[in-house]
Amino acid sequence: MALLEIDNLRTTFDIHVGKVQAVRGVSLTVGEGETVGIVGESGCGKSVSMLSVLHLLPDYARIEADAMRFDGTDLTKLSPKMFRRISGDQIGMIFQDPMTSLNPLFTIGQQLMEPLRIHKGMKRDEARRVVLEKLRMVEIPDPESRMKQYPHELSGGMRQRIMIAMAIMCNPRLIIADEPTTALDVTIQAQILDLLASLQKQLGTAVIMITHDLGVIAGMCSRVAVMYGGVIVEQGTVREIFYEPRHPYTWGLLRSIPQKAGEKKKLVPIPGSPPDLIAPPKGCPFTARCPYAMNVCAQAMPELRPLTDTHCARCYLMDEGAPKVTWEGSRT
Amino acid sequence: MITPIVEVKGLKMYFPVGRTITGKPRRLLKAVDDVSFTIDKGQTFGLVGESGCGKTTIGRCLVRLYQPTDGQILFDGQDIARLSEKELAPYRRRMQMIFQDPYASLNPRMTVASIIAEPLLHTDMSRADRDARVRELVDLVGLKPDHMQRYPHEFSGGQRQRVGIARALASSPEFIVCDEPISALDVSIQAQVINTLEELQERFGLSYLFVSHDLSMVRHISHEVGVMYLGCMVERAPVQELYAHMLHPYTKALMSAVPIPDPDLAAASERIHLTGDVPTPIDPPSGCRFRARCPYATERCAVERPELREVSPGHFVACHLHE
Repeated sequence: MALLEIDNLRTTFDIHVGKVQAVRGVSLTVGEGETVGIVGESGCGKSVSMLSVLHLLPDYARIEADAMRFDGTDLTKLSPKMFRRISGDQIGMIFQDPMTSLNPLFTIGQQLMEPLRIHKGMKRDEARRVVLEKLRMVEIPDPESRMKQYPHELSGGMRQRIMIAMAIMCNPRLIIADEPTTALDVTIQAQILDLLASLQKQLGTAVIMITHDLGVIAGMCSRVAVMYGGVIVEQGTVREIFYEPRHPYTWGLLRSIPQKAGEKKKLVPIPGSPPDLIAPPKGCPFTARCPYAMNVCAQAMPELRPLTDTHCARCYLMDEGAPKVTWEGSRT
Repeated sequence: MITPIVEVKGLKMYFPVGRTITGKPRRLLKAVDDVSFTIDKGQTFGLVGESGCGKTTIGRCLVRLYQPTDGQILFDGQDIARLSEKELAPYRRRMQMIFQDPYASLNPRMTVASIIAEPLLHTDMSRADRDARVRELVDLVGLKPDHMQRYPHEFSGGQRQRVGIARALASSPEFIVCDEPISALDVSIQAQVINTLEELQERFGLSYLFVSHDLSMVRHISHEVGVMYLGCMVERAPVQELYAHMLHPYTKALMSAVPIPDPDLAAASERIHLTGDVPTPIDPPSGCRFRARCPYATERCAVERPELREVSPGHFVACHLHE
């Protein structure tokens, strides 16, 4: 059975200029111990969809879903108190910017002990012992003295390790990592990604990795969902997405990054910019930027069509009788 | 024959940190410490390194937004490092800068047309000529004429960066410092801006200093690359040579840390692990600055600072391992 099951999630924000339809029907399942990547540009709804699952959005957000099940429990039907009990205990969250997600007024130790005392009802000494153990797991040198320090005394990489320690504090079964390494330098990013991967192996936690970096996806994830304009346009295993992509947006993403091996090929950018989600296009959101757009694309949103058991895409080019367009691949 | 447009010799930029009671600086932050390189006409020099390594400071020194502490900056043969503002004026229009953050570097109260026209106010162009030039620039960077009377907030990040590029081009410069011009942009938009920069280079023979922490983009756009660590240049070589034969342990570690956007290659690649963080440039370690994180560090590295030496034609490296 899947650990997390999201069916037709829709999130809208009511703001003064209208309703922003940030997520427009996202369905995703995550199995036990699996790493799933969600990739897309800013504003495509990748963060908002996961924050919706955790009910971490402001009051003016309206979240609707046909179903959201975590380990068989329907999250939409829980009282806020019951919801916090599950989300705080079994789902860990790592945010992009560790400086703004740690409280500057409390020491690292105080912040890390809080979830244990709330969710596990531990006493001070016991909580302290667990915190020290987790800090060692995330490879923080000299954890005793770190516990007495404030967030501003630590470097960016160290703070992100603290965030990871916080996320694994209650031994969660799912970790949602929202751009966990975007604010970090490459060498520190490599350290953090390796740490996440080894923790996952040790603890058997499932991870949802939200990122815009295809390199991070290729190295970390087993399955990938590509999001654009509030919907998932393609989903598959990492090899299917990188070697047999079917959606023109995925092609565009793969072609706009420099290829390896030094050949000086011109980059192929995606022209234009993403759609406005206050008045999202009726049809496929990628129509305006798609080189293969047909009349039908602007009329109605294409269905997510299965290609294999694991691979599906949302594009009219997959119809029988549609023009034959093929992806020449990034590997030659 | 290739002639250099910018030659940097022994550039140093120290910032005072704190003051004693007599007004002397308490300590010095050595942001750039003895860096030399040249940029050839019509070429792109890529500068890479982690945050705080001094790459942006070098860029700012080259266009004289900072007055360097020591060293020479030869721009077209003339040392501009010590020139006064007045003496600099004729050089100002020949070198320009594109900034990292397209949200902070455009005045929100000015229209796009007036932002682009601003550098031209310091020339003796007539108003009509100026307007014509602005229209030409807007077209050149791929914006539409009806964008000219709009304000920066009406544009997306990629479009704003185009406005920044148009402004930098206004005075027909020969040399542009691009300080992380794409790091605030989305992947699909990054490629648009990079292509625009390349087209402009081809068309006008521009020379760029391309400062970035995105190693794959630097590899794509640069002809020569310099790797910075904590205020020093540890390795410098033509791009093909550098990526084929990296010599400095830091360069190798930095390159291996870049995630590869290809699942099979990513699985096959081996990462060199660097432990710890970059030390602070205030009172940096003695000898080689990388030694604290270097897996090959010896006693000699603690005592003697390695010089940047040429190990093969055009390939310079500062490491005791390669002598």
